[in-house]
Amino acid sequence: MPRPGTLRPRTSPIVAAIAALLLLLQAQVPAQTPLNLYGRGATGANGVVSAAKPDASRVGIEILKMGGNAVDAAVATGFALGVLEPNASGIGGGGFMVIKLASMKEAVVIDFRPTAPAAATPDMYTLDERGRAVGKASVEGGLASAVPGEVKGLLYALDHYGSKKLTRAQVIEPAITWAERGVPVTVNLAQIIKDNFGKLKRFENGLAIYSKDGFPPEVGDTIVNKDLANTLRLIQARGADAIYTGDIAGRIVAENRKRGGILTLDDLSGYQVKVRTPVTGSYRGYTIVTAPPPSGGTHVLQLLNILEHAGLAGLGEGSTAAAHLWAEACKLVFADRAAYSADPDFVNVPYTGLASKAYAKTLAALITPDAVMKDPVAGDPSKYESGSTTHFSVMDKDGNMVAVTKTINMFFASGVVVPGTGIIMGDDMDDFDLKPGSVNSIQPGKRMLSSMSPVLVLDPQGRPFMALGSPGATRIIPTLAQVISNVIDRGMPIQAAISAPRLYQGRTGSLSLEGRYSINAYNGLVALGHTVTVAPDYDAAFGGVHAVLFDHAAKTLHGGADPRRDGQAAGY
Amino acid sequence: MKRHVLLAAVAVLALAGAAQAQTWALKAPIAAKPAFLTTVGQSADIEMVKVLLDRGAVPYTANAQAKAGDLATSGAKTLVVVLGGSTKGLGAAGISAESELDRAKALLAEAKKLGMTVIGVHVGGEARRGQLSDRFIQAAVPSCQYVVVVAEGDKDGFLTRLCGAAIPMDKVERISGAVEPLRKAFK
Repeated sequence: MPRPGTLRPRTSPIVAAIAALLLLLQAQVPAQTPLNLYGRGATGANGVVSAAKPDASRVGIEILKMGGNAVDAAVATGFALGVLEPNASGIGGGGFMVIKLASMKEAVVIDFRPTAPAAATPDMYTLDERGRAVGKASVEGGLASAVPGEVKGLLYALDHYGSKKLTRAQVIEPAITWAERGVPVTVNLAQIIKDNFGKLKRFENGLAIYSKDGFPPEVGDTIVNKDLANTLRLIQARGADAIYTGDIAGRIVAENRKRGGILTLDDLSGYQVKVRTPVTGSYRGYTIVTAPPPSGGTHVLQLLNILEHAGLAGLGEGSTAAAHLWAEACKLVFADRAAYSADPDFVNVPYTGLASKAYAKTLAALITPDAVMKDPVAGDPSKYESGSTTHFSVMDKDGNMVAVTKTINMFFASGVVVPGTGIIMGDDMDDFDLKPGSVNSIQPGKRMLSSMSPVLVLDPQGRPFMALGSPGATRIIPTLAQVISNVIDRGMPIQAAISAPRLYQGRTGSLSLEGRYSINAYNGLVALGHTVTVAPDYDAAFGGVHAVLFDHAAKTLHGGADPRRDGQAAGY
Repeated sequence: MKRHVLLAAVAVLALAGAAQAQTWALKAPIAAKPAFLTTVGQSADIEMVKVLLDRGAVPYTANAQAKAGDLATSGAKTLVVVLGGSTKGLGAAGISAESELDRAKALLAEAKKLGMTVIGVHVGGEARRGQLSDRFIQAAVPSCQYVVVVAEGDKDGFLTRLCGAAIPMDKVERISGAVEPLRKAFK
């Protein structure tokens, strides 16, 4: 290798001319098209990871290759996503993880959802005439942040379900590498930063990381986050204590309170991961295993139950009849969700009833094929009682399955970045009902309701079949049910099931269709009386599903990732 | 020697290219300070245009939801409109696309009545195009005396066609590239 100054570069004039011309032309090259449908999926005989960023998926695969199990890979992918997709999840947030290792008889749910601070009260926000917090206080600034759960959650999973073959330091190292190397700015990330630039400006600390020359970084730029790399190094050394006690905890509390928040050191040191029993049900012979409240998994199962009773599988794919059924079932599910779902440690949630086939049958009976429900109300599941975000999935050849959905809530969350740490504080408090008197109203120590619904599916023989989940707020619930239906009812490969056009219907309001829905279905739905809005062909608002499916006959794992965002699976 | 000549020629070509990139559509400033900044479509792009005006040393008052009556009392001589719609922004403001169009039309009519210069800025790229955005762009551009666009937002030539020969328009590759043409547009 030549030493600097010892070798005179011999640049050919022609090469120099071409290089200069290319430099000039480069400035004229337009940005890439936002949508890329190719190369999203992956297959592997040994393991597949599907995450919202290709580099994050590859982090998980490398961990598997090093001898780690699916949980090791999931934890490494989770930390890496906090760096690679900083707008969606990270140390300032939390989530849910469903784990079923081949050696486990039953799956387990790790709830690391953020928790309301001890000083939180049901009426802590002043509301405007539309019921929103004045000054966006529930989504921006210190008062928007709850006690984060991410680091304790991920490390709990590693300590209790990891292979023990890899150290904490090894699992976190790839995230540090990316924080130091720099995160590539994609079309998707560039737009998200532009959309949230005002928020980042308002709380200024984030601008040093997420701007370039005072403007949002553009496609092709990279975002280096040395502060976050240093924070991750501390976690490598000290574990969760690095965040929940000591210097960083002090910085978190100081910045939160400077921005109007109410977090205390006791809130941080007192945060606890909750290990929950999954909600389990079935859809057409396949077992559905998902996270209970405050997650939204129960309602994915409820929706599938209604559709099973109403005979969705017999209706034409993308037809008016099928779309009408989806819309009406969604209305009923969201009516129940609003009425019943909340933190089960504070409220008696009838989730067994909500997930029961018998209750779903009564709801399915309310749906008529030729009429549109105008004002659906919640049912009574109690008598059937017997007893903003990112998602990634990992499966390996041994049948170990992990599905993780985690979030800091809105893109770039509260906008508050803790100085010197690279940590973006979440704004999960907005997921509470901001009015007192609801099952999901704010209480100290309570966890806010979430739509995050990581799901594991077992085939009719009880074998590991699919792990999936999605971001997308309330759209998560129908989105996941649609992907599951596409696989089970329509026989689609996982990537096709993810890419297929989606619809969304809340309890009330218009039925939203992605633009690729057929004109016949659109006309039919309008004729039935639905108010229909048409979204873009591939609309990121409909979520970002990342799934892995096990084809036992071919002994191959298939990963599917969502073209609506930056997802890409990796396998080996 | 021959090589030096060729390298010099390349350097001249590169400089010429750079010089060409700094030729703007306006031959002289057309706008007086201070400016009044608003959106036509309630997009978050207004935050980037604030930085552009700050960098261009253009004093301004910003109000994303300004009404026609606000212009006269502001004392501003130039109206800068941020072009492009946002469903999220409209939702946050609690207004419909139709109401926003009505507000924009009234504002632009008032600016004309007051003799204000109107400058349109589109920095949102391809994401700030499409059915919703294009309605706002179509409504506002004909009232502009000058338009600055980040090129990605005009891949299909929509803004170029709207401006035609009558409205001077400059395209820049990056958002930061809009500082200079905006600075030069102001006296």
